[in-house]
Formats: sequence, C-alpha cells, structure tokens
Amino acid sequence: MKAKAEMDGIGGGGHAVGQPIKQRELDSHVKGQTLYYEDVKVPRMLHLKIHRSPVAHARILNIDTSKAEQSDGVVAVLTYRDVPATKVWSHFEAIGAAPGAEPILAVDKIRWKGEPIAAVAAETLSQAEDAAAKIKVTYEKLPSVFDVDEALAPGAPELFDCWPGNHYVFPDDHKAAQIRFGDVEKGFAEADHLVEHVYRTRPIEQAPIETAGCVAVPGSDGRYTIYTNSQALSTTRNSAAEIAGLPVARLRLVGGTAGGGFGGKVDMAIEPMALLAAMKSKRPVKYRFTREDEMTVSSTRAAWRVSIKDGVMRDGRITARHVITHQDIGAYLRNSIYGAFKHASHMPGPYTVPNVWADVYCVFTNRTPSAAMRGFGVMPASFAIEMQMDRVAKAIHMDPWQFRLKNAFRNGDMKAHRREVWDAALVETIQAAARLTAKDLPEEYRQMSSAKRPLSAPRIAGG
Amino acid sequence: MTAKRVSLTVNGRGENIAADGLTTLQQVLREALDYNSVKDGCTQGSCGACSVLVDGELRIACLLPAGGLQGAEVTTLEGLNARNSTSVIQQSFVEHSAAQCGFCTSGMIVSAQALLDENPAPSRDEIMEAISGNMCRCTGYLPIVEAVASAARKLAKGDGA
Amino acid sequence: MAEYLLPDTLAEAGEMMAAHGRSLAIMAGGTSAMRCGTCRGRRGRGIACIECAGPRLVSVPNSAYVMGIQRLGLDRLEADNGVLNIGAGVTMRNLAASDMPAALCQAARRVGGPALRNMATVGGNIFARQPYGTVAAMLLAMDAVPVFTGPDGSREVALAEFYTSGAIAAGLLTHIECPHPQGRLVFVKCARQRFAGPTVITVAVRIELETGGKVAAARIALGGAGETPLRAEAAEQLLIGEKLEAPAIEAAAAAAKAACAPADDPVASAWYRRRMVGVYVARALEQAGEGEAP
Ligand SMILES: Cc1cc2nc3c(=O)[nH]c(=O)nc-3n(C[C@H](O)[C@H](O)[C@H](O)COP(=O)(O)OP(=O)(O)OC[C@H]3O[C@@H](n4cnc5c(N)ncnc54)[C@H](O)[C@@H]3O)c2cc1C
Ligand code: FES
Ligand code: FES
Repeated sequence: MKAKAEMDGIGGGGHAVGQPIKQRELDSHVKGQTLYYEDVKVPRMLHLKIHRSPVAHARILNIDTSKAEQSDGVVAVLTYRDVPATKVWSHFEAIGAAPGAEPILAVDKIRWKGEPIAAVAAETLSQAEDAAAKIKVTYEKLPSVFDVDEALAPGAPELFDCWPGNHYVFPDDHKAAQIRFGDVEKGFAEADHLVEHVYRTRPIEQAPIETAGCVAVPGSDGRYTIYTNSQALSTTRNSAAEIAGLPVARLRLVGGTAGGGFGGKVDMAIEPMALLAAMKSKRPVKYRFTREDEMTVSSTRAAWRVSIKDGVMRDGRITARHVITHQDIGAYLRNSIYGAFKHASHMPGPYTVPNVWADVYCVFTNRTPSAAMRGFGVMPASFAIEMQMDRVAKAIHMDPWQFRLKNAFRNGDMKAHRREVWDAALVETIQAAARLTAKDLPEEYRQMSSAKRPLSAPRIAGG
Repeated sequence: MTAKRVSLTVNGRGENIAADGLTTLQQVLREALDYNSVKDGCTQGSCGACSVLVDGELRIACLLPAGGLQGAEVTTLEGLNARNSTSVIQQSFVEHSAAQCGFCTSGMIVSAQALLDENPAPSRDEIMEAISGNMCRCTGYLPIVEAVASAARKLAKGDGA
Repeated sequence: MAEYLLPDTLAEAGEMMAAHGRSLAIMAGGTSAMRCGTCRGRRGRGIACIECAGPRLVSVPNSAYVMGIQRLGLDRLEADNGVLNIGAGVTMRNLAASDMPAALCQAARRVGGPALRNMATVGGNIFARQPYGTVAAMLLAMDAVPVFTGPDGSREVALAEFYTSGAIAAGLLTHIECPHPQGRLVFVKCARQRFAGPTVITVAVRIELETGGKVAAARIALGGAGETPLRAEAAEQLLIGEKLEAPAIEAAAAAAKAACAPADDPVASAWYRRRMVGVYVARALEQAGEGEAP
C-alpha cells in the first residue's frame, strides 16, 4: 500500500504518472454517500413521459393531445409548437457547425421508431405514462431502410430532401471525411499481393447502470438549474439554451457525477426537454430514462461497414492501404461527423504505410440515431484493421506478431494525416505481450524498438 | 381504497409507512425515507443496484412489495456503515479500486456482506456467484472479486472484528 | 392503486379470492408479478417485455387487490410414501439447499442470482413466462402434479396437461406433488454467463434404463422452447428400447429440435434457441447415459 499522500494523487507533491491516484469519490462510493442527480430531492417536482413513434418512417398527419391534457395529474403537454428551435438537437447544430435537422419533438416527419413526438409533465410518473399513452398521432407510413446496403441501393427511400441518396454532406461539400497520403495506385502496383475484405460491426448500447436523467428547476430570478448526469455539461448547456431560446447565462447545469456513461450521456437527449417542460409548467421537472428507454431509444454506437484493400510485399511491408467506410449513423446526425473524422484520422492504424487513401461516409438509415461510445469511431477502425492485419499475415504466410512489429510506426515516421509520430510504443507493447504469453519471437524482432529510424533508412515501414 | 400502513424497522429505526399493493421497498426507502444508497438502475430486478437485507437476507428492493413487510427488519448500506465487517469490505474496495462510477457499489457491498455473513471463507466461484445478481459496467468485476476475497481474508485474521 | 392483502390462513385466503374474483392477483415472491406491476405495460410500449408479452395468466397491474401468500404455510418440503410434496411458496434458495433430487436442486440454483433466489418461489415458476420456468421444466420431466384450491375445493392436474390446456390457474396453487422419480435425472441450462445468466433454453430429462442399458421410459422437457415448458414427446418415443448411445441420442436431439417452437427475445434468437435445443438435449442424454448400465 502506497503512502497516503501518494494515494491522494498529484496534490501529494509527487508525480502522477505511474502512481496510483485514488479516485476522488471512492470513499463516499463505498459508503453509499455519493450524491447522484437523482438523490437531489426537489419539492413539487413533476415527472415527464414522452410519447414516441411506433413506426420507423412516416409523415405525421395529425397530433391530438386533447385526451392527454385532460388526464389525471397532467400539468403540461408539449409538442413541437412549444419548441423555439425545432431544428437543433446536437451541439454541432447548436453552434452552426452542422446544418440543423433534428427536432427534439417531431414536427412533420418520423425517421426512426422511438422518435419523440410529445411530452407530458404530470404529478406522478404513472400519471404521465397514462396520459402519454392517450396521445393520438396519425401517420402516413413510408418505406424504410435499416442498414447501409439498403440505404445506398439505387431508388432507396430517402430520409431527408436535403441529403439525396441518404449521404450526409460535410459542410465543405465533401460527401466523406477523407485521408489522402502518397499514391495508393502506385503502392498497389508495387505490391506482391493485394488483400481485400469487408468488416462490419453492429450497434451497441452503452448501458450505464444509472440511466440518463435530469431535473430542471425554475428559479425565482428567471434562471433555470438543471441537475444532470450528462457527460457533456457545457455543450449540453449551449444546446439547451439554443433549443429553448434562452441566453446561456440563464442556465446553470450541476453535474459531474454520473453512474457510468461510456459515451451514452454526451447526447443532450434529455436536458432541453426537461427545461422546456419546466418553462411551460413553471415547476421543477424530472426526466429520466427508464431501463427500457435506455435500451431502446437512447443513442447507441453506430453500425460500421469498413472495406479495406491492402498492398503488401512478400517480406511483410505494407505498401498501400485503401479504406472505404460507411457509418450507419441512424436517423439523425447528432455527433456522428466527429466519429467519422476520428475514424478517418485513425487510418491506417498504428502502422506506417506510405500510401493511404480513406473515405469515411455518414449514411442515414431509419435506425435509432447513433452517438459516441468508448473511442468514438476508433473502435470499429481498430477492429477492422486488426482483423485485416491477421488476414494479410495469413495471405503472405507470415507470423501475425512479426507482421505487426515490422509495420508498427516508429518515432519520426509521418502518419497519414500528416502528424509526426513522437510517442510510439506499439513495438514495446507487442514485445511485452509476447513475453507475458511466452510467445517466441526471433532475436531480430526482440531487438526492435520505437526509436527514431536512422536517417539513412527510408521513412516507411521495414523493421 | 386507502393505502395500508405498515410498521417495520429500517436500519434500527421504527418506521410506519404507507404502501399500496404495488409499492416497492425501493420506493419506500428512496422516496419516503431518503436512503440514497438504494439505487435504481432498472426497476426490474436485473441490475442489483437496489440490493438490501431483509431480516438479514439479501433482497431486491425494486421487486419487493412493501405491503408485506409488517414487522420486517430492513438494512441498507447506510445501516451497515456502522458495522466493523462492512468497513473492512469497504476498505478492501478502496484498496482494489473496486468502484469507479460507484452506482453499483452500494448493492455490491450489501451482497458481499450477505455472502460473508453466511460463508466467511468463500471460494472465488462462490464470490462470483454471490455478486452475480449485481451488474457493474465499469470495473469488469475482477477488482470487486479481489476486494471481497481480500476482505474475507482480513476478517478471518480478525483484522476488523 | 391496488390494496395489499395478507391472509394468515388458507380459509381466509379462500374468502378473499371468492370476494374479489378477477380483481385479485396472487403475489408470491413478486419477482415476475412486481416487475409487471411497476411496468404496467406502458414503459415498454413497442418492446416485448417478458412478463406481459404472453397471452395468459393473472394480470397483476390491473388488479384492485394483491394477495401475498407468505403467511399461508406453503413453504413445506416433504418426501413421504414415495411422493415428493413441494409447497408453492418454497423459495429457490430453500429448494436448492434441500435434500430433494439433485437435479431439481440444481435447477433451482440456476434461477437468477442469490437475492432473486431468496424471493422467487416454485409456485411462481410454474406460471413464469418463457424462457423462464427453469424449475417448471424439471418438474415437467418428473411428472409433477400441481394442486390448486379454489371455491370448489381442491383440483389436481398433471403439469403436462396444465400446460397443454392453456396454463390457467384454477385458484391458489398450494403445492406440487410428484412421484419419487425413478431412473436418472439430468438438468442443463444454456446461458451466456456461468452465474445468473439469462436463460437461453433449459433441458430436463428423466431416463429409466432396463437391464442391458435399454431405455424403458423417457421424459424430455424443454424450457424456453415454446409458449410454456413443453415435453419433446417425439424425441422421447425415439429413445424407447434404444441404448443411450450416439445414434439414438442424435436422433432424439434432432427430433426435439424439429418439434420445438422457441421465440426471439433480447437474450437469444429463435434460430439460436432451436440450435441450442439440439445441442443441450444431446448433452443431457449423454450425461444420463454415463455410469454403469443396470
Ligand atoms: C433478474 C431476474 C432473473 C430471473 N431469472 C430466472 C431464471 O433464470 N429462471 C426462471 O425460471 N425464472 C427466472 N426469473 C423469473 C422469476 O423470478 C421466476 O420465474 C420465479 O420463480 C417466479 O416466482 P415468484 O414467486 O416471484 O412469482 P410471482 O412474481 O409472485 O408470481 C408470478 C405469477 O404467478 C402467479 N402465482 C404465483 N404464485 C401463485 C400461487 N401459489 N397460486 C396461483 N398463482 C400464483 C402470480 O399471480 C403471477 O401471475 C427471473 C426474474 C428476474 C427478475
Ligand atoms: S433497480 Fe432493482 S435490480 Fe435494478
Ligand atoms: S462502478 Fe460503475 S457500474 Fe460498477
């Protein structure tokens, strides 16, 4: 056991790196005394329930909330008419970095099963649930698409008029996040082998044990306090202000303690809604995802389709890597462009490849909108790349450990997105893994290091 | 129809609460009595974040009808905090970093206490079985299993008794 | 709002049931009923909640009265005169720790985690939605007979018939009777976790071998393979007169797989469940065939 000062972390006067630092809330966690947003009890609090679409793609012909308004305990019913900005959901939309498209309550179209249409604030949760079930929405159903193959097929139903072919268009008029480095065609021409494959991942729910939730409380000074378990306090404050048409200064968000998030709570899915209900009802409003909500309507990690083509020499050097990725972002953009950029800039993985070409598309489908989860965009990239590394090693009959060591980047190498490598550790990590698993590596590979290559050596992979 | 009154003991204190047929012990503990260590991760018995002891036995508070608890003795983590053996478990959790976001932690510690009350020298498998109704998304369980095993060893040596 | 009733005697319970009829729901451990009660069918709009997805059984959320049965003395476990007598209120924990046949105890131990087993009862398990009914599947293989008491006195019905006739509770289930099982009992559960894994499917078998190792009687019960626990009768028939060896086992497993009708849920697809029925029936039969032939 380390001395207490060290356990307490940087404040102990020592260095942080390599030292155990005690998590700040650990003592209160083990006593059950940590306060989460839900432990803050606010008097006269209302509960919110959302009426959601049971269909994946439809035009809304009519929304009838009259029965809900007369239901027991109901204080306020909200539709898009109560939303000042009906084309803002995500932070990117709020700051104008992406064209606005997603309403927090649907206006005239449904693009995914579960899309919010109306909100009911009532004295108890079951009264809110009862009332929400009484809302009647008339739909004209539309055909839907549930994966990128369907969405990109010729003549496929389109989710947005402004994005033909279900392709998101990045602000600078590109259809894809792109990486261009060297000349892949030249690299393929030089290669002894070409290895090509398609890798797919499925959506995953982050599933924190504490579901997303918040309580929005109107103050007497015209300010609103939102107690929340958001993972993104300041961006949530910006989007909530934008959506509600309030100056940012009138919002105060209290958070910092979340019962898990894993990317599932960066989405600003709940705070603006609770805020609008608090504004309309002039009462504190709690909006909390049930476990079922969390599993069915909260955003998930996207499904990705990654097509990789590699050129490789008999001795194991990769000469070119060509990647086309389609991210199935679901029905709305949310933060997916960020994942697309991270995915693109992760190519070609932690390996030095002289010729790299990557196009990463965001594709709309009628699925639950996707968002961040642990290494936004990077996990599917790493998954596809490492599967491909094994496949290529097999194709050239090379040991996959040696194949990776040979191509691993070294300090001083240039990455495909034109940043010099300065903190490489892959070689040492693989060597350590080999030692731990009693994997036998030839002397040449045991001697490798991430140190800068000698000046005379070419700045490409080659061991 | 009137909600029925039920008298029970929570953490050593007598309480008289109102409960209709579907009121859960979790609602009573969290909402009426402010025992915040009782968490709500699913309200359907799946995550274990609401684990408590009833008459010394482990229970899932979100599935337990409060109406049937006349005369019962309920213990939450708040009530266990005073116990020496619990503080040994808690210290082990701290030493092994067995809590990250902390949301599963009170349930985990109640389950661990229920295990050690019955079986002071559990095997690794017995520990895993004992916490199998408690989900943790953060730690990967390993530090928790190690924390419970180490607490059992310490208690056997009489460290916290 | 529902009122919670807590009768002290069977007579009192009978009066309450007669007085309130369909507006009264029975609550044992509450591990299914309360789940359904808090959800009230509304939270999961659009998704199939396991508790209310099926077509049958008492509806707790809409009842005006909920009757707890913990004071009725239904927690007895007895074995006399070659008959096992299992109270409807026996918890999984108590059944698992009892001296009932080992396979039955194992089945009880494979229900949920420890807290759940402290609450969940054998009686409630008889009514459990599929793929639950872990212990019910074992009892089905043991030719168990649930005994109900209602306004017209007590009623017995073989578990197999209870399920084929729609699984309608005829009043209060007081206990389950079951002949002391002859032959070999095996229980296996397919789940993706070793402890407290949500059920994919369960398989329970009872095999009687005659001298020479040929099968004289066979019961194969499946959980999670249809709307209720069910017997794989075609597979049972194929085993009669055969030795428990590869060809007969494979044929029976294939027949069980072909005859079942599992459902999709978030735990597993129907496709996967069907395949696992084949795999686990074979495993259970292999286990039953282990050891000396009589
Ligand atoms: C997290 C979790 C995991 C689970 N895992 C499993 C599992 O692995 N295997 C499994 O089989 N089940 C599982 N279950 C389901 C459930 O716990 C069990 O089926 C349990 O045995 C139900 O018993 P109970 O006493 O809680 O029933 P209750 O919930 O009290 O009742 C269930 C139904 O049966 C009726 N009923 C109960 N007793 C009687 C009676 N005596 N007479 C007439 N009607 C009666 C009730 O009215 C109700 O409709 C799980 C549940 C949860 C929450
Ligand atoms: S909240 Fe009770 S088990 Fe999850
Ligand atoms: S510590 Fe976060 S869920 Fe266990």
